[in-house]
Amino acid sequence: MAGAAHSRLESRVGRIMTTSGFWDRTEAQLAETPLDLSIERDSFYSQPEWDVYQVNYNTTGGHRLYAWLSVPKDANGPVPALVRLPDYASVHDIIYTSLRHNAAVLNVTHRGQRNSDGDYRASYPGLLTDGIASGESWALLGAYSDALRGLDALLAQDRVEIGKVALWGAGLGGSLALALASRRSIVDAVAADTPLPLGHTTALDSGPGYPLGEIGDFLRYHPGLRSEVEATLGLLDPVGDAVNVNCPVLLSAGRFDRSLCPVAFAEELAEALPNCDLRLYDGAAEGGGHIHAVARTAWLADRLEISASV
Amino acid sequence: MATKADLEAFVTSVTCPDDFDDFWGGVLAQLASEPLEAGVSHDPMRSNDDVTVYHATYRSLDGLEIFGWYSVPAAGEGPFPAILVLPGYKSEPAVRRDWGRRGVAVLSVAVRGKLPSSAEFNPGYPGLLTAGIESRDTYSYRGVISDCSRGVDFLLSRPEVDPQRIFCCGSSQGGGLTLATAGLRPEIRGGVSGYPFLCAYPESRQMLRSYPYDELSCYLRAYPDREQQMLETLRYFDGVNFATRIECPMVVGIAMEDEVCPPETSYAAYDRLAGERELWLFPESGHGNAHDYPRQETEWLERRIAASKAEWAVS
Repeated sequence: MAGAAHSRLESRVGRIMTTSGFWDRTEAQLAETPLDLSIERDSFYSQPEWDVYQVNYNTTGGHRLYAWLSVPKDANGPVPALVRLPDYASVHDIIYTSLRHNAAVLNVTHRGQRNSDGDYRASYPGLLTDGIASGESWALLGAYSDALRGLDALLAQDRVEIGKVALWGAGLGGSLALALASRRSIVDAVAADTPLPLGHTTALDSGPGYPLGEIGDFLRYHPGLRSEVEATLGLLDPVGDAVNVNCPVLLSAGRFDRSLCPVAFAEELAEALPNCDLRLYDGAAEGGGHIHAVARTAWLADRLEISASV
Repeated sequence: MATKADLEAFVTSVTCPDDFDDFWGGVLAQLASEPLEAGVSHDPMRSNDDVTVYHATYRSLDGLEIFGWYSVPAAGEGPFPAILVLPGYKSEPAVRRDWGRRGVAVLSVAVRGKLPSSAEFNPGYPGLLTAGIESRDTYSYRGVISDCSRGVDFLLSRPEVDPQRIFCCGSSQGGGLTLATAGLRPEIRGGVSGYPFLCAYPESRQMLRSYPYDELSCYLRAYPDREQQMLETLRYFDGVNFATRIECPMVVGIAMEDEVCPPETSYAAYDRLAGERELWLFPESGHGNAHDYPRQETEWLERRIAASKAEWAVS
């Protein structure tokens, strides 16, 4: 049900605005939830140059989350950290980045992903519209709580002293990174690739390609629930929240993307962000591909004041 | 960036075991002895005006139930040409609705270990690449490749599919599995292998630090005395050795900046292809993200599917 508290207003440029207080409720729930962090070295996946740890901690709703943490072996004093927010997929694995040589890297998952699926297992496609007819039941909202909780875990762990903090994510991860930066001033930089426009009208009128096509599927199958879906998406407001992102943002998108980050959303988001470097590429959902990957690594290294080379 | 000269100069140490065909013949015989139990259930929310989408299930090696997304053109009664789409290592199997309006059925397979096919086998990611690697008979990919071969059997079991017009494609792990499946199953009439993983393992492991290949290095750090044992197992699962057995037309697409599957190792598989072959090189592109690859894949398969109709009509 679209609650009366979810007053929905469409702005001139496509935001779905709300007075729901989603973030206030989320912050309050997180404050009431003990982190109960555990951390254990993984000798199998540790490397000669860095140690790998398996990290577990609690989030809202009674869910237990998992993350991979790597720490450079020669870490001495505060170490810059990179938090990689999860893709829209079941697996969020260790992945290699040359930044691991000089930065702590935390790959956080959200509830429903592999290793964080003790009480709820997300499906793909499926997660994006799971419970979307009501803000009380939309499963994906939990990912936003879990992103905040991932930063709590990074700051609470005792294996390494954390210096500068950068966030990096693509697709859903890009959206989560920006949302997290809007809520936590400790974040020094964000690299967001092709963020999903959840909370923006372009999410409602995308092409058939997944993941955004999932919303089209749902509305075609449940045509009477459009206003409810709009109200649920309106709990998020990436453009409105952008003004609170005080750190530099590297934002990338593909000009022909209709399944992850429509270019109209990327441009509006970039305009709203106080300090944004928008890179548009002649691609689709792959955005800038390899060219942007190289640029992003160098950009993150600059912001973290480390070397990107091995 | 790798150059074409780099690719041509590369020499892999991979050799083919003398009993490679006997090993896989035994696996296929075991599969043939087990019931397929193919089934479909309609998914109305994923279906649209172009395509009817089903949840497909079938039994594979050791009786494991495998899931796939099965998309059938909404218009016409068939028999339709079909494409077997094979999945990447950690990515989700795609619901390929884009072929419906082209009159092509698609089975997109979730091999064992993937979320919908993980009830009885779930080594994780990372994990799959080294699971059971101590022996060719216990290695995870004995089952994974069987699941792909069984996907061919699923399509052959469907009355709406033209058994003479089955094609195959996939990227990354899906590219490697495309080579393996086309090497084992002569029913495959053509395929596109993008950025193929699972090729020239010994060199791939040494050329990059990235996962999944780095799982092999992690394994050897944990078990340094097992290198020869591991490499012996991998000879039976190397795309280079499957490539020599592929007789249908095959494309190999290579990103010259591939940071996951070294371009040289993908080329090694291309270089061993026995039949008609085509090489696509994508400069300034990384793993899985060449801008032109999806379009080229679609256009190549469309041409081959159209040609197969003409060939079949003549024969």
